[in-house]
Amino acid sequence: MNRELTNRHPFVLFPMGNKRFALSAKQVSELARHKTHAEDEPQSFPHTTPLLVGVVVRRNQIVPVADLAAVLVGPDAPERKFYLVVTRVVSGKATRMAIPVTGECELAEAEPLPVTSNLPPYVLGLLSFGEEIIEVLDLEHLMSTEVRP
Amino acid sequence: MKISQSHTMRAPRSRLAESMILFRIGGMSFAIAAHAVEEIREMVELREFNFGAGHEKLARIKHIFERNGRSYFVVDAAAQFHVQNPRPTRLLVLQHAPAAVLVDAIDRMQDIHSIHELPSAFCGEERGWYRGLAVIKGRVLPVVRPEALLSKAEATLLRAMLRSDRNAHQMVVTR
Repeated sequence: MNRELTNRHPFVLFPMGNKRFALSAKQVSELARHKTHAEDEPQSFPHTTPLLVGVVVRRNQIVPVADLAAVLVGPDAPERKFYLVVTRVVSGKATRMAIPVTGECELAEAEPLPVTSNLPPYVLGLLSFGEEIIEVLDLEHLMSTEVRP
Repeated sequence: MKISQSHTMRAPRSRLAESMILFRIGGMSFAIAAHAVEEIREMVELREFNFGAGHEKLARIKHIFERNGRSYFVVDAAAQFHVQNPRPTRLLVLQHAPAAVLVDAIDRMQDIHSIHELPSAFCGEERGWYRGLAVIKGRVLPVVRPEALLSKAEATLLRAMLRSDRNAHQMVVTR
C-alpha cells in the first residue's frame, strides 16, 4: 500500500476573513447558505455559554450556532455568508452545530504537518497548499471554556 | 390562573398539549407553563427590600409585596437572565413558591405539543434556567423552569431574612 496515500485525509477548508481554516471532513455534515430562508435566521435567547450566538432551525432540528470569528480572526471579521454544519460528540452524545463562515468552502485531501509549539492550543495540525498554510482546528478545544474571544 | 386579579384565562388543551404563557423581558421572548403561574398582576404595592448584601445570588430579589397576608418575593428576571434594558410592567405570581417575576409584557397564551431538549452545546447557567426549547411558528423560545427563578430553599432563606428584619425593626420601635 502506498504510504503517502494512507496519510492523506479529507478536510473542509473554509474562509474566515482573509484566512482559511480546516476541519476534518468527517465532522462536517452540511454547508448551508446564511439567511436565505427564514428558518436559517439565527435566533438568540439568554445564555452564558461562550461563543454560542443562538440557534437555527434546520429540518425541524434546533441547531446551536457557534461564531468562531472572534477567536480565529478577531472582532473585524466580514459578514458571514454560509454555515458549516458539523457534528460534535458532547458527553458521549452526537450533536450538530452550525459555524458561520465568510465564503464558500472547499473539500481537499492533504497530509497534516506537525504543529509547532507557538500555535494556539486549538490547532490540531497544519496543511500546506502551495504557499498557503492552513490551520486544522480542534473544535472541542475551541469550544472549551478556556478559549475566550 | 388569574389575570389582573379578576379574570380567569384558560386556553383549550388537547390531550398532549401544554399551555404556555409567552412573555418578554428586554426584547427577549420566553415561555413558562401556565400551570406554574397563579396570577398576572400590575406592578403595584411593591416595597423595596435589599436581600442581596452577603448573598450575591439573592441580589436579583429587590422587592416584596403583601398579598392575602403573605409576603411575596419579586425576582428581577432581567438580572437573572443578564438581559439588558428591561422595562418591567407586569408581575407573574408563581405557584410553587411565594415569588413573582418582573416581566416587560405578556404576549399571549399558546398550547405547545413538544419541548425540545436544550442542545448539549449549551453548557452554562442556561442548563438550570430552562426546561428546554419550544418552537412556535418557526420562533425558538426557551421554556423557563419556575424553580430556577426562585427555589424552595431560597424562599425559605428569604423568609427567614425577612422575619429577622421585621424582628429587628420591632425591637427598634419598642425600645
